[in-house]
Amino acid sequence: MTSTNLVLLLLGLGLATFFYGRQKAYVVSKSHGGMRNMHSLPSQHGVMVGLWCVLPALLLVLFWKLAEPSVISSLLNSSIPASISEAGEKSVGLYKNDIANIIESGTASSDPEKQAVAERWVALSSISSWVLVAITLALAAIGAAIALRKISADTRARVMVERVVHWFLIICSSIAILTTVGIVCSVLFEAVRFFQQVSFVEFVTGTKWSPQTAIRVDQIGSSGSFGAIPLFTGTLLISAIAMVVAVPIGLLAAIYLAEYASDRMRAYAKPLLEILAGIPTVVYGFFAALTVAPAIREWGELIGLSPSSESALAAGVVMGIMIIPFVSSLSDDVITAVPQAMRDGSYALGATHSETIKKVVLPAALPGVVGGILLAASRAIGETMIVVMAAGLAANLTANPLEAVTTVTVQIVTLLTGDQEFDSAKTLAAFALGLMLFITTLILNVIALYVVRRYREQYD
Amino acid sequence: MNTQTTTSGSGTSAASDAFDQLKETVGDVTVTDPKMCARNVDVFYGDNQAIYDVSLDIGNNEVIAMIGPSGCGKSTFLRCLNRMNDSIPSCRVSGDMSLDGEDLYSTSLDPVLLRARVGMVFQKPNPFAKSIYDNVAYGPRIHGLASNRAELDDIVISSLQKAGLHEEVHDRLDAPGTSLSGGQQQRLCIARTIAVSPEVILMDEPCSALDPIATARIEELIDELRQNYAIAIVTHSMQQAARVSQRTAYFHLGKLVEVGSTNNIFTNPQHELTENYITGRFG
Repeated sequence: MTSTNLVLLLLGLGLATFFYGRQKAYVVSKSHGGMRNMHSLPSQHGVMVGLWCVLPALLLVLFWKLAEPSVISSLLNSSIPASISEAGEKSVGLYKNDIANIIESGTASSDPEKQAVAERWVALSSISSWVLVAITLALAAIGAAIALRKISADTRARVMVERVVHWFLIICSSIAILTTVGIVCSVLFEAVRFFQQVSFVEFVTGTKWSPQTAIRVDQIGSSGSFGAIPLFTGTLLISAIAMVVAVPIGLLAAIYLAEYASDRMRAYAKPLLEILAGIPTVVYGFFAALTVAPAIREWGELIGLSPSSESALAAGVVMGIMIIPFVSSLSDDVITAVPQAMRDGSYALGATHSETIKKVVLPAALPGVVGGILLAASRAIGETMIVVMAAGLAANLTANPLEAVTTVTVQIVTLLTGDQEFDSAKTLAAFALGLMLFITTLILNVIALYVVRRYREQYD
Repeated sequence: MNTQTTTSGSGTSAASDAFDQLKETVGDVTVTDPKMCARNVDVFYGDNQAIYDVSLDIGNNEVIAMIGPSGCGKSTFLRCLNRMNDSIPSCRVSGDMSLDGEDLYSTSLDPVLLRARVGMVFQKPNPFAKSIYDNVAYGPRIHGLASNRAELDDIVISSLQKAGLHEEVHDRLDAPGTSLSGGQQQRLCIARTIAVSPEVILMDEPCSALDPIATARIEELIDELRQNYAIAIVTHSMQQAARVSQRTAYFHLGKLVEVGSTNNIFTNPQHELTENYITGRFG
């Protein structure tokens, strides 16, 4: 029996014992003069019985499956020929791999000695799995029996069930937190390896980015220089252009939707605006590269400038369009949430609609609006696809939006899509960039939280 | 029409008969020195008529209390007096209303300017998300009442003084208005209203969210403000109406049943419905 089937069987047993336990609780309640005299409801007793049945057994399966490979492998050590175990750990590992291959392929090996070991392994595994099934079912039965005996008027089944649920919730939330920590750590460790090869000072102060390193020792001319400043200025330039586009348009759209639009208009316009956020960024990317960038080039030439065909402006403008819904949707929500009483107070003083919006509604909604803007900014800084397609790869240190620039995210993509060995400075640079990017957006988020908290006013 | 009154005891059928027969308001709806006049006002929310043929004057330097059971239309009537009902799309007003003889609902009148002359204080204190100073300075600023900072300071301080709040907040005018207690917030809202020098102040149950001590302070304040303003106050508390007002109007299911001097209304009500309400038989 595979462990999946075993778990399914356990869950089935749990369900069955739940119903049985609930039924039994009904019966018990009758003999105690009705439900009123029971501490917990029958369904809570049922859940208690089900949990007693399933949880210990499930934990056993988990630990068994974790321990099984190493236990079996140590049991096999005795059957490994002395010549191999004397040759050191590496050859033992190789030998075991061979055995595993034999089992996997299902074909008989030419070496009868190995064949014997493989058969022993298979036999041990099968014994292990049947023992597991037996012990698990026994444990489930014992658990259910204990719990069934516990059903009585005074048993605090509700408290027990709630405690289990409580721990379950804690486990779920720690999974999210631990994943974040894990991601940060993996980026951090690779970045530390990078900084062992390239100095941190050079990385954050260097103005030249040319990550080509020699593949072979005798190669010449590509020693690599890892100055990240052009990348960060490129990122900031494009993000700034995006914000210049997105903040006014998004905010004004939100004001229109929240304050002026009729209900009908709002019902159609808001979802339509939010569709912008649903367009895949790669689609925005070729919109930027094939439509906006050439248009900018033409217009630039009309007024006597010579924009490059891949410009920061094109990428920034399209990115700005992409993040409009982030600004507008969140701002719309917070503007709508400003209480009507506050608007009435303003109207009652003889303020016009626009004065009320400018001086009462927007200040009250400011924390939420700022939150939305900073969220959009984080999104712009982390955006990759549009810039890959529209902004180019040249790491120019420039503030001219008509020139090609590159961003941190674009460089991470190009660094990791080459066939470089994984421990070269070039590849590891991607992790250092990722770490810096992460820190930048983290700082932005912290500022956002601070601003929101600092200016939050209670409405009522 | 369906009578939603929760009548109790002996007066049930007699009261609803009295209401059905009600044709005219009992008592004199006019005053010698009117500030605002309403004549034959009907108000509709969509298809529902909320106010039936109400005529009432609000005199200079008087406090008129509007009382009546919930849903009787007193707040609706009050909100018509400075056209706050304009923001409700389904609301329709017919009849004549005037301020110093000027028609409130004529097309030439700008409701924004009207509201600067007829201020309003709401049931729940609703300070803006601004400092105490900016809350009071808001009205003067948007109407350009002060040409420099010193004048603005004067307006703010005198308004806070008139609202009886200056003593308590003079050293923290920069604190947010929302940091004050409920009673202080309501006095801040009154100061804010006074700051634009209105001619009439409408109060919609200004004390219903306040404790008795804060209520007493607001009532004192209303009595002082009477020297300079015409005040109309909607209240659920008959004791409050008796304490602060000179005239009282009793509304019932959208009709104005009886108007008279507060003394007469509370000691010698003429109409059966008024008597029932005052004596607590329903409402």
